[in-house]
Amino acid sequence: MTTAAIQSLALLTDAYRELNSKKLFWVTLLLSGMAVAAFAAFGINQKGITFLWFQFDTPVLTTDRIAPEKFYKFAFANVGIPIWLTWAATILALVSTASIFPEFIAGGAIELTLSKPISRLRLFFTKYLTGLLFVALQVFAFSLACFIVIGVRGSSWEPRLFLAVPIVLVFFSYLYCTCVLLGLRTRSTIASLLLTMLVWIGLFGINAADELFLLQRETATVNAERAVKRVEAQEKAANTALSRLREAGQPTPAEQGPLDAARFADELEAANPFLRQSRADATDSARTADRWRSWSGWMFIAKSILPKTGETTALLDRWLLSDEDKRLFGREDEEAEDIERTARFGDPDPQVRRRFEAAVRARSPMWVLGTSLGFEAVILAIAAWIFCRRDF
Amino acid sequence: MTQARQNEPGSGLAIDLSNVEKVYAGRIRALRGIDMRVHSGEVFGLLGPNGAGKSTLVKILLTVIRPTRATGTVLGRPIGHKPTLSRVGYLPEHHRFPDYLTGAQVVDFYGAMSGTPRPQRRRRTAELLALVDMSPWANKRVRSYSKGMRQRIGIAQALVNDPDLIVLDEPTDGVDPVGRRDIRGILQRLRDQGKTVFLNSHLLSELEMICDRVAILVQGLVAQQGTLDELTHGRQYFEFDVAGADGVRPADLFRRALPGLLGDANGSRGTLATGEVVELAGDTLRAAVADPAKVQGIIDALRAQGVTIRTIRLVRPSLEDLFMQAVTDPTTGETLATGAANSPPRRQAARAGGVK
Repeated sequence: MTTAAIQSLALLTDAYRELNSKKLFWVTLLLSGMAVAAFAAFGINQKGITFLWFQFDTPVLTTDRIAPEKFYKFAFANVGIPIWLTWAATILALVSTASIFPEFIAGGAIELTLSKPISRLRLFFTKYLTGLLFVALQVFAFSLACFIVIGVRGSSWEPRLFLAVPIVLVFFSYLYCTCVLLGLRTRSTIASLLLTMLVWIGLFGINAADELFLLQRETATVNAERAVKRVEAQEKAANTALSRLREAGQPTPAEQGPLDAARFADELEAANPFLRQSRADATDSARTADRWRSWSGWMFIAKSILPKTGETTALLDRWLLSDEDKRLFGREDEEAEDIERTARFGDPDPQVRRRFEAAVRARSPMWVLGTSLGFEAVILAIAAWIFCRRDF
Repeated sequence: MTQARQNEPGSGLAIDLSNVEKVYAGRIRALRGIDMRVHSGEVFGLLGPNGAGKSTLVKILLTVIRPTRATGTVLGRPIGHKPTLSRVGYLPEHHRFPDYLTGAQVVDFYGAMSGTPRPQRRRRTAELLALVDMSPWANKRVRSYSKGMRQRIGIAQALVNDPDLIVLDEPTDGVDPVGRRDIRGILQRLRDQGKTVFLNSHLLSELEMICDRVAILVQGLVAQQGTLDELTHGRQYFEFDVAGADGVRPADLFRRALPGLLGDANGSRGTLATGEVVELAGDTLRAAVADPAKVQGIIDALRAQGVTIRTIRLVRPSLEDLFMQAVTDPTTGETLATGAANSPPRRQAARAGGVK
């Protein structure tokens, strides 16, 4: 075995021992076990949902509409991953791992390790990867338990569930790299943890703002298009009215005398009293749409250079559930979606929603992962540079 | 970072440093051009007041700190050559081992980090834990250890890779007297095995007992360097103690026996024919020579006068004396301020230089 292999194995073993000694690791695992147990306690039958021995009649959620395996898969992708793994378990994981680097570089601890025949760069990245072990083990254990539950309860052995491991790991790594950089800078576990939480909240805010701007952009665009169509329709109606007047040998407003320039821009406006206002509305709508396009574009640029936490975990939803699955759960049901959208954004317009969904889907997994991992690479490069250059 | 002279292995120097400098934050000059030689197979002591730059120098040798400027070699390789560190053992001052590990796991882990294969590590770990008297606590977690026990484990981990050079920073810190004696024994055994031991310690008496050579660092410069004999050369003297007789004080007996040397009845200082100074210090006579042949005349004169000589001993300045001399400003007689800080270099310390 080479020296590098011996050292890497030693660092991995040490990381395992460190995790093993941290009570939070086991607390998180226990909580994960409880979450899976609760997951397993739910069931679906011809009457509706069951929880342990309790029956809840839910006509829209029965085995007549949804097969049990799809019910469990949906619950895993929409509750297990986005709520449990990407929020609760991630917070616990951050709390557990935030101390790794500040403790590693603490006086009296780092000198010995640096005095060994291992380059600082390799030491940094090996330590970083061992920090990710926490989440890898947690997510793997959770996914395995869910895999067994869905297999046993839903009679479907779905290996794609394990996609949760790399996806959640990548999601966590966006936050962990930030935590590592802040830990190296501040040398404080608490400071790095709190600042990482702040960054996370900031990312959440930017994500929400991006969605809002995108929705506003689509709303404004649809409104502008509708305004143009309304103007076109009114112009057409005005032309028809003028034609009828001419055909009837009656004078048109322009033939009756000079038009009042303050009230009418042309003869059509004189023929249709609503056209002037509609044209003004169309101009305003176009201007508003341009403004939202500009703001949404800036937000897109800002988002492109930042990690996309929400969109990363949403990839599992894309990859785990087929369109047919989503339809089964009403995800493609416009009415249900409109209600959801109304609650979130106050915009029930199905056309806007469809365009919004299309714009979101236009952001490919490659863009979501590539730009986020690019951010991580930059942060890690800065952290590694600090680690390699610092005098301890 | 370094421009090392290729000091070939086997040349006899385990550490060969020239002009090592370290400036923190662009203004704090911790090291101002260290020149130091440590021979293979010797126990070398590095001493100096707090803030003299000892730990900085040690950390530069072990790549924990990057030097501002450094030329030199460690075990024949340029400073900063990482693979060479597999042949170095290190015990830092104020070390903090992962408290979730047991003593045996600590030794094994740092052995692995040095690249030592597992079978060798297992064997060495058991041997070394026995050597430092920690076998009964080998499987207890470090968090339950006393400071002395941690220090013993620290010494064991420093030796697990069977290093050629062992750098120990305050190895007896927190260790009881029995433990200190044991550690001295270990160091002597390492020297007997041909290993080089580089000791950084404040305990001058311990260094004096075990070190072949020492260097005294003051304000980022080597004030003195060499064997104790070399450092005390010219500062040794013979001291005569005689018994008073018939109410005559020993000082007067010396004056009577050595009138040509000490002058008149009140004289207290003279010069030997070979030029060395002889002087009375209270009731004892001191002759500033190290060669016994040069004091035979004094003995003859004293005996001829029937003076009873109680003791004649060769007095050598202690390491503490040397240390205090090094850290005392010769012009003001005051102890030099600790630390290098951004004060100007102490040129006289550099000039004092000592024996290289």
